[in-house]
Amino acid sequence: MITASSTCAPVASNRSQIEQPLIVMEDVTMRFPIPKRYREWVLSPLRPRRFTTALSHVSFEVQAGDRIAVMGPNGAGKTTLLKLMGGLLLPSEGQVLVKGHSTLEQSTRARKSVGFVFNEERSFFWRLTGAQNLKFFGALDNLHGRELRERVEYLLELVGLKDHGDKVVSAYSTGMKQRLAVARVLIAEPDLLILDEPTRALDPIACDEIAELISARIHLHSRKTLLIATHRSEDAALLCNKVMVVEGGKIRSSKSMEDLRSDGLTVLDHYRELMAHRRTS
Amino acid sequence: MIGLLRKALAFVKRDFAIESGYQAAFVMGLMESLMLLVILHFVGQLVQPSASNSLNRSGLHYFPFALVGVAFARYFDLMLRTFSESIRSVQVTGCLEAMLCSRTGCVTIVMFSSLYSLISGALQLLLILCCGVLFFGADLRSINVPATLLVLLVSISIFVAFGVLSASTIVWLKKGDPITWVLGSLGSILGGAYFPVDIMPVWMQKLSLLIPVTYSLAALRQTVLKGASLAAVAKPVITLAAVAAVLLPASAVIFAATVRKGRKEGTLAQY
Repeated sequence: MITASSTCAPVASNRSQIEQPLIVMEDVTMRFPIPKRYREWVLSPLRPRRFTTALSHVSFEVQAGDRIAVMGPNGAGKTTLLKLMGGLLLPSEGQVLVKGHSTLEQSTRARKSVGFVFNEERSFFWRLTGAQNLKFFGALDNLHGRELRERVEYLLELVGLKDHGDKVVSAYSTGMKQRLAVARVLIAEPDLLILDEPTRALDPIACDEIAELISARIHLHSRKTLLIATHRSEDAALLCNKVMVVEGGKIRSSKSMEDLRSDGLTVLDHYRELMAHRRTS
Repeated sequence: MIGLLRKALAFVKRDFAIESGYQAAFVMGLMESLMLLVILHFVGQLVQPSASNSLNRSGLHYFPFALVGVAFARYFDLMLRTFSESIRSVQVTGCLEAMLCSRTGCVTIVMFSSLYSLISGALQLLLILCCGVLFFGADLRSINVPATLLVLLVSISIFVAFGVLSASTIVWLKKGDPITWVLGSLGSILGGAYFPVDIMPVWMQKLSLLIPVTYSLAALRQTVLKGASLAAVAKPVITLAAVAAVLLPASAVIFAATVRKGRKEGTLAQY
């Protein structure tokens, strides 16, 4: 175990001064209740609910401009971590600050700066077209009229769906839905993009296309701060300048790519090294 | 305010685009209502006004009485159900979290998610009343439109509040909505949609006074069938308005609290 509460330090070469962190997680613990079964209701009705701990005392900061790959085995707590930052979950203990706004106290303000790409391809209205979906979600983000239409057209082109905007989402392939999800998250131009396993369930070519979309178009265009949960070390190496490994609800490591390179390690080597104990235990 | 109206329009457009793909459902709903009118018409031929004191006193026949009662009761019932159904639907389709990620608050989302249903339900209500007049000879000429609209508005406020409360139970319990069940089933029996309240035993009549639909239907029958003025229905309207004034903000607060609980426990997207 490297540390239970790691900090992603800013990359000095990229910044002339220390900026206010975009996201601060302070000693965050997240517990989920385990629903009582009928047996428990009958045999011990007064016993309080049990909880499972998904994240335990996690602290770290994300600086503007960071591109962090969040890696870890299934069930490690990656999605919980990302959802806490996106304000979709509220911590059981500790707090998450987005641009200084607590997700507990100023949830709507905090969420303004964060865009979340779900690994859930069902998060669209399937009987609407891609363009109609984007227009609807754009309206929720306070865009309207010509501005909204132009933004939707621009984003459909950006994600390579210009010729498919009028097709219903149910006719989209998984890769196309993922592109649409990326377009949706860009509508409101958030400072931080959180992508939860954006290449999950995609074929290798579609994976590369999504990675290319993120690196060549989104990152180069806007220099947005990115947090990407991924199992693909090649995506982490291509898209990110830092890698964070989560396991058992704790941050096991947080390193810049520069540090890994100077140690002569690839992302996969580093990950394997950290996970070696799992094979032996 | 304009921003809110724009969002409301976006929800209505979304639901219209989705529902326009289900033309059969709309036609079937309409057919079902027409079938009900046929049944009420023939039942009305069996039932004499002397069967109930209130019918006898007001000189009303059963069919217009039941027409107004059933048409509006169905609309109120829709309001009870539509909020929880729309929330359940976006939970199941996986869109709830995506919507909650936006810059629109959860109360606005639940309110506007049901707007299209309420508009299409109002159209169905009008169609039912028109069919009752055109095909079955119901006489609604003496309707007092402003008074009817006011009673309707106050009633809608209450049923929207109960609807939002029932949406809260869906966010909390996922399945099984006691509010809709209690109000829907009790309302259909005790509310006086199909028969006058005064033919029930006294204890049931007393129970019916606890249900808002009883007041709404009584006032609506007065304004629609008898052309009663606002002053004549002031008592039920004030009672309903007082309940709405408390219930509407309370339901919004409770819904927001339930969503917050869902965020705390990670159960928001579960169904």
